Amino acid sequence: MADGGQGPAPAPVGPSPVGPLVVACLDPADLRQEVDPLTGEVRADWRRADLSASDGAALEHSLRAAEAWGGTVLALAAGPPGLDPVLEQAVALGARALRVPWSDAHSGPAVDAVALAAALAAAISQAGPPALVVCGDRSPSRGIGAVPALIAHHLGAEQALGLVSLTVDQSSQVVIAERRLDGGWRERLRVRAPAVCSVEAAGVRLRRAPFAAALRSSGQPIPVAASQSGVASTGAQLRIGGPRPYRPRTKAVAPPMGGTHDRLLALTGVLVAHDPPRIVGPLGPVEAAGELLDFLDGHGYSPPSGPAQ
Amino acid sequence: MADTPSPDSFDAIVVGAGPAGSAAALALARAGRSVVIIERGPFPGSKNVYGGVVYARVLDDVIPNWWEQVPVQRWVVRRSTMVMTGSQAVTVDVRTQAWGRPPYNGMTVYRADFDSWLADQAVAAGASLVTSTVATGLVRDGTGRVTGVRTDRPGGDLASRVVIACDGVNSFLAKEAGLLPKADAAHHTLGVKEVLALPAEVIEDRFGLAPGEGLDIEMIGCTRGIPGGGFLYTNRDTVNVGVVVSLTGLAASGVRPEELIADLKEHPAVAPWLRGAAVKEYGAHLIPEGGYDAMPALAADGFLVAGDAAGMTLAAGLWLEGVNFAIGAGLAAGRAAAAAIAQGDVTAAGLAGYRKALEANFVLQDHKRLRGAPQLVLSDRMQRQYVQLICDLAEQVFTVTNPEPKPGLVKLLLRGARRHKVRVRDLVRDGIETAKVFR
Repeated sequence: MADGGQGPAPAPVGPSPVGPLVVACLDPADLRQEVDPLTGEVRADWRRADLSASDGAALEHSLRAAEAWGGTVLALAAGPPGLDPVLEQAVALGARALRVPWSDAHSGPAVDAVALAAALAAAISQAGPPALVVCGDRSPSRGIGAVPALIAHHLGAEQALGLVSLTVDQSSQVVIAERRLDGGWRERLRVRAPAVCSVEAAGVRLRRAPFAAALRSSGQPIPVAASQSGVASTGAQLRIGGPRPYRPRTKAVAPPMGGTHDRLLALTGVLVAHDPPRIVGPLGPVEAAGELLDFLDGHGYSPPSGPAQ
Repeated sequence: MADTPSPDSFDAIVVGAGPAGSAAALALARAGRSVVIIERGPFPGSKNVYGGVVYARVLDDVIPNWWEQVPVQRWVVRRSTMVMTGSQAVTVDVRTQAWGRPPYNGMTVYRADFDSWLADQAVAAGASLVTSTVATGLVRDGTGRVTGVRTDRPGGDLASRVVIACDGVNSFLAKEAGLLPKADAAHHTLGVKEVLALPAEVIEDRFGLAPGEGLDIEMIGCTRGIPGGGFLYTNRDTVNVGVVVSLTGLAASGVRPEELIADLKEHPAVAPWLRGAAVKEYGAHLIPEGGYDAMPALAADGFLVAGDAAGMTLAAGLWLEGVNFAIGAGLAAGRAAAAAIAQGDVTAAGLAGYRKALEANFVLQDHKRLRGAPQLVLSDRMQRQYVQLICDLAEQVFTVTNPEPKPGLVKLLLRGARRHKVRVRDLVRDGIETAKVFR
């Protein structure tokens, strides 16, 4: 199918939509991209395109949410036809699939995240009002990670990003999410649909498709979303400069004090009294620990006295 | 294909989307049979390691003008054989521009490209391809006949009338079918290679090539006396350098294979070609080089084996070929399976047409004729003494020692033989043996 065709939006391939729409917004990428050490050029091979661990988790969470709600999963990705085999995997798992034609989806940080998110949001809206959009929280194509938040902005949806756990309330369209906080704490969020969530690959692995489903989806054409005339690229939000030699920042160093002889003595410590090394072993663990503590104590490294920890 | 058949209705299952598997599936699909290829990698060729030349004339009848669409790196117009010691090298260089024109002779390819292309031909003919799927075992009926394969996917037991195992060297399926005995290290070699990046124009300058032309060098004497040899092939903007060594010899030597590649890259005859090259990739793979006498039975009830799984790599010194033998065997297996299915007899007897077809074409004829070559080429005298003898002889022939007059060639040969403890009796016997093997 030709990319970017005008006209009515094609129906995503896969089962007919029923119930709430859960969108897995994926970023298939060559997970073993080569970086030229001299020029910084990144070379990707589309045949190696696959889901990253967090994108796999996003798809798995989407499938679980749709199962709980009795809904439909739409696997959505932006890029060239080379990533269709990855979307076929999603079809084999029971999702519908749609690809947004996007030529610079793998330009790393230089990608126009605003325009990309607008195109993805438009494709989602064409497929129907989403109850939940799940993204991976890391961009394997070296994006800046702003797309999930921008999609939420375009859809007017709530957002909860960087989640380690995501479950849905079967009786209501509420997402229960868990997110890491500093100091080992976690916060639990109740997010009302429609919502955009991004997930870590924490404790979730994408299920394997049955053979029959993999066979049916193999080579199946993936529909391409109609091009969005209203989505205009405003250029990248980050400007990427060319490669250049590493130049460490200048560090202020105090000027040398005293004459050359004194500085040499200070540097080498030849006239400073010090304890010669001594051999204290072999010792048992208790004796060795005692020796170490005595040494630290003798050199002023004793821990401050206080209540036992 | 108009309708995807349900998994239990396949005429044939081909395990492995390498050259043998795709060729087998192509032949079956062309015969109107439903066939599925199961590939463990994410795409055909993604798991294959290879550093050689593909001789694809075997495709002439199957894919007309294949050279117009094949993803070639370079067409090989130079074929060199280099005999070397640590500081010497004697090279026989064959160059012909006829190899650079259709229908061509040999080409360098990236297996990821070539295998994907060949699998695409099978899929275009009607075969189905399922990737990222491992065939974990065979399914049999009460009589022991193979009736399908078990895969690592949920609901992954598939039934078919014939299973063709093209799952590569050390084939687990062929072992499970009872065709392949326990792996014998003496019948296998280890190939290790580096892919080194150089600009295309540098490759062309250094190796005397025009754009699109390629070079293939086979070397002997560069493996610290471990039976085996070295190779160097040019791709478009990379060079493959590596060695193939006897497994038992390598284990006995205690040498690590990467040391052998490092030696080769530092050899004075090789180092200037590789100056400034950057390592892109390192790979290693087992090669079944046992030849005709180490090949397993090729058919069982409902089961065929082809390609590396059947030990069909030809390692005969002058000729080092594998992919063409795999394609030839795969085509024969696919055709034999289609004929057996049509006749309703997929027992080993019904599938016997496979072996007959191989015996009638180059696959088994070449292997049978050159059955003594692996032992001859890997013998200690050939690997050590004759290498030194040839290099010393060439050096002395072209060393001018005036005012001494030029010595006679026979005198030099006998002097060299004495120095390297080569007995004339052995020399004559090996000469006769070589003549017999390569007659």
